[in-house]
Amino acid sequence: MLSVLIWLPILGAAIIGFLPGIFSAKQVRTGALAITGAVLAWTIFLMTQFDPSNSGLQLQEYLPWIETLGLNYQLGVDGLSLVLLALNSLLTWIAVFSSKVEIERPRLFYALILLISGGVAGAFLAQNLLLFFLFYELELVPFYLLISIWGGSKRGYAATKFLIYTATSGALILAGFLGLILLTGASSFAYESLAGQALPLGLQVILLGVLLVGFGIKIPLVPLHTWLPDTYVEASTPVAILLGGVLAKLGTYGIFRFGLGLFPDAWRVLAPWLAIWAAVSVLYGAIAAIAQKDIKRMVAYSSIGHMGYVLLGGAAATELSLVGAVSQMVAHGLILAILFNLVGIIEAKVGTRELDVLNGLMNPIRGLPTISSLLVVGAMASAGIPGMAGFIAEFLVFQGSFVAFPLQTLLCVAGTGLTAVYFVILLNRTCFGKLDNAIAYFPKVEFSEKLPAFILVALIFFLGVQPTWLVRWSEPTTNAMVAAVPAGSVLGRVGGDRPIATPPELIPMATIPTLEP
Amino acid sequence: MADIVDIAVGAGSFQTLVAAVQAAGLVETLKSPGPFTVFAPNDDAFAKLPPGTVQTLVQNTPQLARILTFHVVPGKLMQADLEKVDSLTSVEGSTIPINAKNGFEVKNATVLAADIEADNGVIHVLDRVILMG
Amino acid sequence: MTTTLETPKTKLPPSTHEFADIIHRLEAGGAMLPDSPENLMQIIGIYKAYAVPMDFYWRDLLYIAERVFLEPLPFFKYFLPKEYLDLHNHYAGDDADLRIWRGEATAHPELLEFMEKGEVQRKLPKLLHHLWHDRVNMEFAEECMRVMLWHRNMYVPVNRFDPYLDSEEYIANADRAIKAYFKHNPLMMGMYKLFPEMFIEQVRQMSYYSNLGLFWEIMAPVFFEMSDLYDEGKLTSVPEAMDFLVNGIFAIAGRPIYHHVYIRGECYEIIPKSKGFTWLYEAALPYVEAVFYRTSPFRGTKSYNAQAKQVPDDQKDFHYGILYADVFPVGTAGIPPTLLMQDMLHFLPPYLMDYYKQHCRGEDDMLIQLGISFQRSMYCVTSAVIQALRTALLYPLDDPNPKHLQANRAFFESQLDRFKRPEARLRNIQTPDYR
Repeated sequence: MLSVLIWLPILGAAIIGFLPGIFSAKQVRTGALAITGAVLAWTIFLMTQFDPSNSGLQLQEYLPWIETLGLNYQLGVDGLSLVLLALNSLLTWIAVFSSKVEIERPRLFYALILLISGGVAGAFLAQNLLLFFLFYELELVPFYLLISIWGGSKRGYAATKFLIYTATSGALILAGFLGLILLTGASSFAYESLAGQALPLGLQVILLGVLLVGFGIKIPLVPLHTWLPDTYVEASTPVAILLGGVLAKLGTYGIFRFGLGLFPDAWRVLAPWLAIWAAVSVLYGAIAAIAQKDIKRMVAYSSIGHMGYVLLGGAAATELSLVGAVSQMVAHGLILAILFNLVGIIEAKVGTRELDVLNGLMNPIRGLPTISSLLVVGAMASAGIPGMAGFIAEFLVFQGSFVAFPLQTLLCVAGTGLTAVYFVILLNRTCFGKLDNAIAYFPKVEFSEKLPAFILVALIFFLGVQPTWLVRWSEPTTNAMVAAVPAGSVLGRVGGDRPIATPPELIPMATIPTLEP
Repeated sequence: MADIVDIAVGAGSFQTLVAAVQAAGLVETLKSPGPFTVFAPNDDAFAKLPPGTVQTLVQNTPQLARILTFHVVPGKLMQADLEKVDSLTSVEGSTIPINAKNGFEVKNATVLAADIEADNGVIHVLDRVILMG
Repeated sequence: MTTTLETPKTKLPPSTHEFADIIHRLEAGGAMLPDSPENLMQIIGIYKAYAVPMDFYWRDLLYIAERVFLEPLPFFKYFLPKEYLDLHNHYAGDDADLRIWRGEATAHPELLEFMEKGEVQRKLPKLLHHLWHDRVNMEFAEECMRVMLWHRNMYVPVNRFDPYLDSEEYIANADRAIKAYFKHNPLMMGMYKLFPEMFIEQVRQMSYYSNLGLFWEIMAPVFFEMSDLYDEGKLTSVPEAMDFLVNGIFAIAGRPIYHHVYIRGECYEIIPKSKGFTWLYEAALPYVEAVFYRTSPFRGTKSYNAQAKQVPDDQKDFHYGILYADVFPVGTAGIPPTLLMQDMLHFLPPYLMDYYKQHCRGEDDMLIQLGISFQRSMYCVTSAVIQALRTALLYPLDDPNPKHLQANRAFFESQLDRFKRPEARLRNIQTPDYR
C-alpha cells in the first residue's frame, strides 16, 4: 500500500519522460496533474486506513534486498511521517498546478517533479537508514536539473551551490549512519534494531552532531543557510514550492527521526544549544528578511526563520512542543507554498519582484486584487495571526518549549514580531499605495491560476480553526518520542520528574487531539 | 453733423452692427448727447465670427447689449488721445487694451479708419469684433 | 471661422517650449490630442456615451435648482418628473433657438430606456433601481457643481456671476424666494431668521445648479451631433472634431445664464436673464477651469495628506481635474470620476465596446479604458476652448503679422505651461499605448 506512494510517481515520471513529442505542453501537464492527483487521493485513502491512536509503525512493508549490506526495502508509516507524506502529495499537486502551462521541455520537467515526489515519499516511509539515505539523495539530481534548466537568470550558480551544499549534507548524514552501524556493530541498517542502541554518551553526542549539521544544511539552519536564498529565488515557482514546502521538511524529519529518535540521551545534552541555535535562526531569518528588496528573497528568508520554530519545538521535546513542531512543519509547508505561488504569479504578471517598483496591486480594476488579498492572508498566516494554521503551530511550540527554554522561546516570540514587520513592509509596498498608471498593464489572472492559492488558503483556515485535524495524526507518535527521552532530561530541570511539562491551563490544548470527531 | 447711429447707418458697411444695436435697444443711448467713443466692427468683422454667434446674441438682448457696450467707452477719445493710454474701461465694465503708438490696435482688432467724428462722439472702425477676457 | 489646417504663411522660429511639438500642432490648427482615427473613434464614442447621462444631468440640475430648491430633506431630488424629461432642449429639436443637434428636444431615448430597466435589464419600481444604485449617478454632476461653487470667483472680473452672488440685489432676490418657499413652514422660517447667511449660501449653491444645468443643456446636443456626424462619415479627423466644438462655443456663447425658481406656480427670478450673464463667460470658462483643471482631491482616488502639504494652500494651485486625474480607482468608496465612468459604461457605442474588448483586460477594466478615452476626449475639448479663446482674444493662425503670431504662440505656451506638472496626462495621451 505504501509503495504506491513511491512507485506511482516514479512510474508516472517514466511514462511522461518517454512520451513521444507529439503531446503539447498542456497535455503533458494534464497528465502530470492526473498522476499527482492520484497520488494525493491515495494519500488521503491511506489516512483513512491509518489508526491515529496507535503510536507505532503501521502499514509496514518488507522486502529483503541486499541483506549483506543490511539494506532492505522496509517501509512503515507513523504519525510523524503521515502528515509529511500528506504535505508532500498535496504540494506536489500544487506545484504541478502552479507551473506555467506553456513550459519549455515539459516532459522532462514533469518527470523530474514526479521523481522528486516519489523520492520524498520514499524518504518519509523508509524504515531502513540506508534506504532513507538512498531516497534522500535521489532528490538531489532532479532538483539540480530543475533549478539549472528552468531557473532564473543566475540559475547555474544557484544550482551548483545547491548541489554542493546538499551533497555535503548527504555525505555527513551517510557518515553519521555508517558511524552508528560500525560503533554499535549492528548487522543491519534497520531503524528498529538501532533504536535501542546504548553507545557511550560522548560518541552519541558526536554522531548526533554530525547528523545535525547534515540535516541542518537541508533545513537550513543559520549559518548553513547560504545556499537557500539563491536557490529559492532562482528556482521557478513550482520548484521553490517543493524546495521550501517539502525538501526543508526532510531535514527536520531527519533530525526528529534519526536525531531525537536514535540519540535521546545525546539530545538531552545538546538540547539547550539546539534551542539557542533555533532562536538564532529565527531572529536571523526575520532580520535578514526585513532587509530584502526582492519579495521572493524576503519569503525565502522568512522560511529560514520559520524552520527555526520547528527546531525549537524539537529541542524542548515536550509533548506539546513536539506536536507544535510537527504542526509547524505542515503549516510552514502550506504557508510557504501559498507565498511562493502568489509571488510567482505577481512576478509573472507584473514582471518584477522589486519592492521599490511594486505598488498598489490592490487596485480593484487594473491591479491584482484577488492575488493581493490572498497575499495578505498568506502573510497574516505566516505572521501567526490567530485563526490560521501558523498560529496554532507556533503557539503550541511556544507553550511547549517555554517551560524548558524560557529565554530561547522568548527570543523566538520576538522573532514572530519581526515576521509581522517584514510582512507589513512587503504588503504595504506591494499591495497598497497608488498603482502607477504608466506600468499597470498587467495581464489578467485566470481563475485556474488562483486555484492553488484558494485551496491552500482554505486549508490554512481550516487547520487554524480546527487544529484537531492537524495534530490528531501525529500526537501519539510524538508523545511516544517524548517518552523515549530518558527521565532527567532537559525537562527535569524545570519540571522535576514530571514527564509532561503541561501547566493546567494548557490542558485544553493538549487534549484537543483526543476529542476525535 | 450726424450722431453716431446716423453715421453708422449712413456708411452702409455697418449693417450688422446697426441691426444689433437696434435689437439690443441701444439706439436711444447712442443718440444721446454722450459723448461716446465707439469701436465699431464693420460687417466683415461680424462675418468672421463663427455661424450662429450673432443669431444667439440677437435672441438674447441683454447678452447682446453686454457685448456691444464692451465696444463703447465714455468720452470722446481721438486717436491722438489714445496714444497716451494703454487701456480703457468700457461701458460694459471690462478693460480694453489699446495700442495707438505703432499703428492703431484695439485689443486684437486693428483700426481700419480712425477719428470719424460725430455730434456725440467719435467712431473708430475695427476689423474684428472684440470680446471681453 | 479662423481655425484652419493650412500652415501659416509667415513662419516663426521653432518654439523652445517643453511641448514644442504640441504648440506647433496648435499653431497649425490642430489639437493637443494627436490626430489619428483611433483617437477620433475614442473621443467621439465617449462624447456619445457622455451625452446620454448628461442629458439627465442638466435636466435634473435644473429641476433641483428650480423646483426642489431648498427642500430640507431632498430624498427624491434624483426622481426626475416627466415634465423635466419632456423639457425641450433649446438647442435640439424642431423648436430650437439654434438647432445644434438634429435629434429630438426631449430626453434621449437611450436614457429613457435605461431609466426604466437599468443595468439589471428589468422593469422594477423606481425606488428599487435608486436604492440598488442602478441609475444615473447624479452625485457626479453635483460634485462638478460643488467644485464650481467652491472655486468661485474664477475669471473675475470678466465673469460677473460670482460678484453678483454677493450683491445686495441677489440677496434681496434670494430673500424673497426663501420667504415664499418657507411661507408655510414656521420652523424653517425661524431657522432662516437665525442663520440667514446659511440659507443665502444654499441659494447660491442652487444658482450653481442652474448654472451647470444650463451649461450642460448645450453640451449634450453638441456631443450628440458630433456622434451623428461621425456615424455619417462627416467628421473624419480630430481637428475637425475640435473645430466643431470651437464653432459650437461661439454659436452659443451668448446664451443667457440665469436662475429662476418656481414656487407654487410663481416664478421668482433670483438671477434674471436681464443681467446679461452669458454661457461663455459665466458658465463655460469657469466650468473648464473648475472641473478640467482644479476640482478637489477626491476622496478615494488617492490619499492626500494636507498636513504634509500634499494639498496646496491656494485653491488656484489645485490640479486634480480630469486633465490630471489618476483614473485608476483605489478603494471602493464614492469616487465621482468613477461614477461618471460607470454612467458612460451604460451608453457606449458598439464600436467602442469592441475596441475595449480587444485591449488590456477587455471587459474587466473597461471602466479604466473608457476613463482614459474620456481623458483624451477632454483634452480635445480643452484644445477647443484654447483655440476658441485664441480666436476670440487673439489672432488668426494665418495672420501675416509676425507680432500677432508671436502673441498667439505666447498664449499657447502659457496654456501648455499648466501641463508641465508631472501628474498632467498631456504626455500620456500623445501615444496610443496609454489606455
